[in-house]
Formats: sequence, C-alpha cells, structure tokens
Amino acid sequence: MKQSKDPFEAALEEQEESPPDSPVGEDELNSQTPNEAQNQTDGGQNILVDDDDDDYDDLGPTIKNPSHPSSSSTPKLHSTSVNASVAAAVTNKNKEYDDDEEEENVDVELSKFPSSADPTKMAKMQAILSQFTEDQMSRYESFRRSALQKSNMRRLLVSITGSQKISLPMTIVVCGIAKMFVGELVEKARMVMTERKESGPIRPCHIREAYRRLKLEGKVPKRSVQRLFR
Amino acid sequence: MSNPSTGASSKSKLGSSQPSETSFKRKRGVFQKDLQHMMYGFGDDPNPLPETVALVEDIVVEYVTDLAHKAQDIGSKRGKLSVEDFLYLIRKDLPKLNRCTELLSMQEELKQARKAFEVDEEKLGTLE
Repeated sequence: MKQSKDPFEAALEEQEESPPDSPVGEDELNSQTPNEAQNQTDGGQNILVDDDDDDYDDLGPTIKNPSHPSSSSTPKLHSTSVNASVAAAVTNKNKEYDDDEEEENVDVELSKFPSSADPTKMAKMQAILSQFTEDQMSRYESFRRSALQKSNMRRLLVSITGSQKISLPMTIVVCGIAKMFVGELVEKARMVMTERKESGPIRPCHIREAYRRLKLEGKVPKRSVQRLFR
Repeated sequence: MSNPSTGASSKSKLGSSQPSETSFKRKRGVFQKDLQHMMYGFGDDPNPLPETVALVEDIVVEYVTDLAHKAQDIGSKRGKLSVEDFLYLIRKDLPKLNRCTELLSMQEELKQARKAFEVDEEKLGTLE
C-alpha cells in the first residue's frame, strides 16, 4: 500500500494553515560547518558549493536534519537554515554522479527537488516533508538516494551494443529510465498484493504478475526478434 | 524458486561474444545492493526477499537490453548511437521523458559549475 498518500493530503491541508518555516539564520549554518568533512569522499568538492549556489539559487528549503552531517554554504539561498543542507546536497550531487555513497546526507536528495524551481512547489514540498514520520522519511530518503551504478550500467550497455562509445549522458539517462521502471514494477506489485489481500515483503509471483500487466499496457519494449536458444 | 527464463543464459552468450575488455558475463547480483535500497524506496520491505531482487534485476537487465537494441536500430539509421535515440523511445512515457530531460539539464549545470570551479582554482593559483 502506498504510504505517501496520507501525508500529502494532510500536508496540503496543513499548508493552508501554517506558512513554511520562518528563516532561522546564520547560526545554524555555522553550526553545521564542523560536520563538513565527515562523509565527503572528495573534500575538494565542497568548494563547489559556492559556485553551485548560483545555479541552485532557487533551491527550496529542505528538511534540516541535525543528526546528519552537512556542509555549510554561503547564505545566498533562502534564509532557512535548511538551505545549508541544500548546498551539501548540491555538492554531494556531484559525487552521486561519481559514486553512490549510501552514507550521504538525507538532504542530498532533497535539493534536487525543485524541478520547476517554483517557490510555491518548494513550499508545498517542505510542508509535506515536515509532516513525514521517521519511517516515511527513511523510505523517502532511500527513494531519492538510490540509483543504479553508472559503471555497471555502462558495462552492460557496452556489452549489449558492442560499441565502446557510450557517452556519460547516455549512461545517466538509461540509469534514470531503469530506476523509474523499477518503480513502476514495485508499485504495480504492491497493487497486485493489495488485490490479493496479502502482506509482507513482495514475492516473485507479484513481480511477475506486475510485469505481465506492464507488458499488456505496452510499457515494456517488445522484442522484435524472438528469443531463441535460451 | 526457479529463475525466470528471462535474460540469464542469453546474456552470458552476449558477454562472451563481445571482445570487450570487460566481458560482461552477466554475474549474478550486479545491481543487487542498489536494487535493494531502490525497492525499499518504492514501497517494498526494508529487506526485500533475495529472490525478488534477483527477479527484478533480471527484468531490468532485459528491459535495458531491449531498449538498447531498439535504440541501436534507430541510431544505426543515423550512423551512431546517441542519447536522442533513447529519448525518442520513451517519448510516449511522459514521466520518464520529463525525468530524463531533467537529469540531462542538471548534468549540464553541474558541468558548468565544475568548469567555473576549475577556473576559480586557476585564478587562486596565479594570485599566489
């Protein structure tokens, strides 16, 4: 069953009543500096934060998670202390492209959120995220942070196409497509489970049924040539 | 449970026929760790069953394979494989398409930011 439905609705109602968090100011920003170097695999990347701020100026406030280390940033962003972690997110996003460190910030993922760089959307997201329970937050964190390894994907693509010229954007795009496909599979498998009134971890039979349904919907590319000699 | 008939043996055939330095013999569990976290993120148990993860991996590899083959067919008309071929293939699937354009634009931004960073570093170097 989807956990994400309730907090969204709750948060939308909540949003009417209370405005987003008021700016907290520099103190929190500075207090996070000591934590800077903890989980950074590449310390030099931290400096990127300043430059990235120009690009990510519209990045909205994210959840401030004091238990997680985060690098500080110049306060060019909105004044919520949360934004300190946004910069960390930006920095860490660079490294996400290099290596999928699971130990990185919660906040890492959240900075990537403003797809439209829309302040109202950011406010909504913040309102929603603030309502999350710990369980939901951890699941959301996994959702944002998980990704297929680019190196493995590149190897796979090379072996499929036989050509060595697999560009980085191509790898990134295929990883993104594959991740969304996994999402579709898992969500449909959960739907199948609720239909069958089962609970617990997803079993292969649910996945197979989900896959079959996706094929019927035409979301899975069909093989033009039959698979022989399997 | 028996492994699904998708992908396993044919992948190893592909791997051995390619003279690439990384002969991808389709080792089991290439994406396993990442897939576990991903499945949890999308709604599964915090610890998904190993057979489920293996099945999802097989399905994903088959999906990527089919996608890449189709992209290659399209790309071969133009000469070489490019990102646009993949984007063309998912054009009907709006969420995926939007996500991919978002990823690509972000990657561009990051590239620019890194370039600017290196320029600054040089400036600092020359100042000293």
